[in-house]
Amino acid sequence: MPSYNDLKEVSTEYMLFKAKREEQFITGSEAVREAVRRANIEVAISYPITPQSESMHLVGDLYAEGFVKEYFRGENEFAVMSEIAGAAMGGARTFTATCGPGTLRAFENFPMWAGARLPIVMAFMPRGVNSPLTIQPDTIEMGFLLDTGIMMLHAENAQDLYDMLLMSFDIVEQTSVHIPIGVFIDGFFVTHTRQKVHIVTEDVRLKPYNPSLSPVPIMDMETPPFRCMRDPFVMKSNYISYAAHASWQQEIMASAQRAKRHIKKYLGNFIEQENPSAPIQIVASGTAVSQSREAIKMLKEDGISAGLVKVKLIRPFPTKEIKNALSKTEKIIIPEFNRTGWLAREIASTIPNNDRIVPGPRVYGGMTMPPEVIVEVVKNGTPIGI
Amino acid sequence: MSLDITKINPHFEDVMPQEYIDLVKNGPFGNEKSQKDLGTFKELLEEHPLCAGCNLALAFRILVGSLPNPEDTIIVGSTGCSSLAFSQLALHNIHSVFGNQNAVATGLKTALRLRFPDKIKDVIVMAGDGATADIGLDMTLHSWFRGDKITTVMFDNELYANTGGQESGMSVRDTVLYMAPKGKKFNKINLPDMAIAAGCSYVAVVSTARTKPISDCFKKAVLITREIGPTYIQIYTPCPTNLKIKPYESKKVATDRSKSDYQFREHITDDAKKYLESLKP
Amino acid sequence: MQKENYKVLKGPESYLPPAAALHGVSLPEKGEGLIEGKCVSENTCIQYIALKLLEAKNPTFFPGPLLLWRTTEYALQRGKLVREIAKEVNARVIPMPDYRPKYPMINPAVEINPNHPNLTIWHNKIDVGIFIGVHCHQANLALKIIRGGTDCYTIALCAEEGHEEANASLRNADNKILQKLLETIKEIKKGGAK
Repeated sequence: MPSYNDLKEVSTEYMLFKAKREEQFITGSEAVREAVRRANIEVAISYPITPQSESMHLVGDLYAEGFVKEYFRGENEFAVMSEIAGAAMGGARTFTATCGPGTLRAFENFPMWAGARLPIVMAFMPRGVNSPLTIQPDTIEMGFLLDTGIMMLHAENAQDLYDMLLMSFDIVEQTSVHIPIGVFIDGFFVTHTRQKVHIVTEDVRLKPYNPSLSPVPIMDMETPPFRCMRDPFVMKSNYISYAAHASWQQEIMASAQRAKRHIKKYLGNFIEQENPSAPIQIVASGTAVSQSREAIKMLKEDGISAGLVKVKLIRPFPTKEIKNALSKTEKIIIPEFNRTGWLAREIASTIPNNDRIVPGPRVYGGMTMPPEVIVEVVKNGTPIGI
Repeated sequence: MSLDITKINPHFEDVMPQEYIDLVKNGPFGNEKSQKDLGTFKELLEEHPLCAGCNLALAFRILVGSLPNPEDTIIVGSTGCSSLAFSQLALHNIHSVFGNQNAVATGLKTALRLRFPDKIKDVIVMAGDGATADIGLDMTLHSWFRGDKITTVMFDNELYANTGGQESGMSVRDTVLYMAPKGKKFNKINLPDMAIAAGCSYVAVVSTARTKPISDCFKKAVLITREIGPTYIQIYTPCPTNLKIKPYESKKVATDRSKSDYQFREHITDDAKKYLESLKP
Repeated sequence: MQKENYKVLKGPESYLPPAAALHGVSLPEKGEGLIEGKCVSENTCIQYIALKLLEAKNPTFFPGPLLLWRTTEYALQRGKLVREIAKEVNARVIPMPDYRPKYPMINPAVEINPNHPNLTIWHNKIDVGIFIGVHCHQANLALKIIRGGTDCYTIALCAEEGHEEANASLRNADNKILQKLLETIKEIKKGGAK
């Protein structure tokens, strides 16, 4: 095993597209470890919550091995996200992960991160939220996070997770972007199962973060102007104060928009389509994509042609791409691992004639999504979980 | 490098507003000041929107006028009256959300230690009683438990001043306030004792009744923090607006309390004492 | 909803103008500049900005903290170049020493505040304003407020990726590019403009 100092610094492009890889049979949590090992993280902060904990245990191991410069367990998720914010304002590259109730406990920090232009990369392993208590997979928290200003990538499997984490640092560290990104991976289904993942095996790590490219001053008393509050209130009672705050909010949305070209460079298309000319399209993100693939095979055996739209980028939402992908579709099925159907809502507000959407199936609280239920919705429009 | 950013590019000296030229020529950068120098140098906090007679503003002026090393000091504040003054402060300072000041400071200190291993960066938290002892209490305490090298200062006006005068955990028992219409039903939180128990190397309780102890204790706290561990300063800063008294009467309130239930107190560990001794020429 | 062919024109545009990036305006690639929302070659952009500065009645440079508070060799050279360009086009220099919201009393004749830049523009009747050395986030805020409420034509000489919120913007505008801008201005003047 090489040590941190043996690793050569390379660009993200090299890391993702040129570096040699080999197939390993690892869990989603281990994929997080392998991404972080090569991400040149300065400050990682953890807090336990199932099913995230294992990922941050493994990041802790990396700290012990010298791959992460500083690591500790914070006192709760709100504090952890604040500690991460402090480290990012001080010019460090950071990493953390949480899920479910932890996401909600930390919630106030996410719009603050975005407003403060912090280039934070974090992983979410969505699970259900109380009450009653559940630790089981459920993506409801993603719906809550849609309008916080953070960017969101939804991984289908451990390979996606590994690649998305590694690409995220360069995306958010662009001067014109510099807002946080969350990489989401369905808890348990991916974090706790073994899959084949192509892992970089060359002795390389990402180049370090260069805080002097930040579009806002780093709080280190080394960056002008020395008279500077992060972030100053603009709340006097007059038009121009309100306009300054409104412009600030617009700038965050603009930053996400600017990120698209960098996301595209590494991720390819924001959506992936299979059988695009089929009259029936199943639109999904996360592990619902894998279940949809199985359903599509079953439908084919029954002589029904259905296509697949895998949505990888959730924020900024790929409106144009979705609209194009579904322009000729007659029937749209959107299987989701949550009660609210946030993806269906997004699609419904994006496409014309949205009565083409047959809602569901939706499963939640830890329920699995057998492909048969997707087939049933496609064939009969049975309201499952709606 | 940090002193460099307090110098003006000579090609623009002719167009810089006078106040910035004063800050460079007659400010505290590279030239440590204390409370007795106030009025003789250009202060880092000049204009602020706090009320007439505000004792928090007085304490704030003394604190930032007493920084041992302003050119390498970053302050973390929180929501409340003080945050309105912070935006005018001529130092890097952070406001993120209400109550997370010590957590932000921990992250910041960690980043600065990694980025500037050969330099001392003083990270100081200054926040109100609500931020420190109520909404942010867990983070205040945990930064102390962890031994993070942060100086924590509480401006204690014993209520939520900026939102109109509600009860806080630091309010005195039986005081009638908004959200305590029948009087506060429990005792004032004893944060100084908690700070000692949580591992602070130096704890001082002062008030605006006398300004010199604020300056002296704060300087000690910042120095001890650098080498020994967390420190805590609690300053009684009565709020004339919410006490509904005249601006000029607030100092008298501080004086009266400093003689009764808000007396000067100082706790210092042996390690910290030895360290301070070692600094003497 | 995204507007087709949105142009980043001189204001006053509206009560709250949109962020240009959300209406299809992209940042220029390396070697390019941006004019009113369209990417052009760097040379075209330099020519265009030179002309804009020469044609202006009351051009004004707004140097920001990244330039004002630096005394490195590079910053000194950059400061000298900015003053030379300003002199060549007869422009005023109004500094932006920091980003604090200074309410309600800035003196708009001597400084510009990014939270109410309109005061400075109005007070000094500035028809062309040039941003340089301002952190990108703060520059975009101020540029958008200016576009929304004033008729000032805005130019951003950005050391990083450029600004969609400006009417014209160069990216990676290092000292070499500033030198080129200065020479272009001199050449145009020789040719008889202004």
